[in-house]
Amino acid sequence: MSDESNISGRDEDSLLAAEYVLGVLPAAERDGVRARLKSDASFRAEHRFWSGRLSSLDAEFAETPAPGVVWSRIEQRLFTGLARGGFWNSLALWRSVAAGALAVAAIAVAVNLTAPRPDPRVFAAELVAALTAEGSNVSFVALYNSSSGELRLTPLSGEQYTDKDYELWAIEDGGPAKSMGVIAANARNDVPIAQDILIDFGEGTTLAVTLEQKGGSPTGVAQGPIVAVGKATQI
Amino acid sequence: MGASTAEIADLIARCALRDRQAFRDLYSRTSAKLFGVTLRILRDRSEAEEALQEVYVKIWQRADRYVPGGYSPISWLVAVARNHSLDVLRARKPLSEDIDMALDVADAGPTPEKAAVDSGERARIDNCLGQLDTEKADAVRGAYLDGFSYEELAERHAVPLNTMRTWLRRSLMKLRECLTA
Repeated sequence: MSDESNISGRDEDSLLAAEYVLGVLPAAERDGVRARLKSDASFRAEHRFWSGRLSSLDAEFAETPAPGVVWSRIEQRLFTGLARGGFWNSLALWRSVAAGALAVAAIAVAVNLTAPRPDPRVFAAELVAALTAEGSNVSFVALYNSSSGELRLTPLSGEQYTDKDYELWAIEDGGPAKSMGVIAANARNDVPIAQDILIDFGEGTTLAVTLEQKGGSPTGVAQGPIVAVGKATQI
Repeated sequence: MGASTAEIADLIARCALRDRQAFRDLYSRTSAKLFGVTLRILRDRSEAEEALQEVYVKIWQRADRYVPGGYSPISWLVAVARNHSLDVLRARKPLSEDIDMALDVADAGPTPEKAAVDSGERARIDNCLGQLDTEKADAVRGAYLDGFSYEELAERHAVPLNTMRTWLRRSLMKLRECLTA
């Protein structure tokens, strides 16, 4: 701009940093500034000057209590298995898992066309959960089919111990963990869901796997560490 | 602010050590402030909630980028919330690597911002803004606090875009002079 022709290069840098800190720049220019911030120390100093001075205005942002659901979502996102990253979080992945299951089922049906009864291997999943945990190498995929009332748990990784057992638990928000029995880490598990669990079972139900003594927790309350956990979600 | 600067700095440091209880405490002490930021800039409750969630995820994941003695800790948190909100507002996905969180790492040395929360510093910026024409000072505040773009500022002040740009840049030059005097 002609009326700014007296602005020196250094001033220009300072202005650009100020415009970035103020936030008036369009997206592409914000990106450009970020690239420079990475490589240019004197430009960073300008940025520091402006962000420091203007932060005195921060006091004008009025405190407003955030609704409780935000914290639950943050916790779920960071600390439960289902939402730990792009891979587990990807609905496309779950759709393709389900589509794969359907394709297998379709082949099974085709092969068994002459069979008089419906093929028991048809498993149309409606809910899915990825069970994982930070610092644990045990993981399962859980698929639930409401018409059969069964939960199919397929181990993806994890060691099967001879002196310990994995136990599966269902947890509704705020409720106690209810045992769904002992499961294997080296074979597919078709777990029937007991009535008292089925009543509330659905999207949002948390599934957890703990490592218990042989035969599972004797008290009906989990005693071992959680080695995998995740929330059921609709496909 | 419901918590002292030192306590907030301590909580951030513990978050970097993966202390979940510290993260919970940090959230309970600072989320109202940061929600105030995302709400004011995004002007939409559900977007502001979504942004707040993203901001704390980022804080947990990048807590190690905070260096005590640089920004005041609450200013650092507000900067993360402002930058995220501005990125959302400018209709783009926030960068996965947020340079704003890493700045103090690169430049050790004297940091005048350390005292930025002091009332003296606050009086200083008020005084310097006060030396600008009222509507120009309003434009600076509006950009910083409400996330107004040049286009929005031009519209609000009923001047052409280029005029707005010149105004604001000239005002920033004056402001800089005053703030460094």
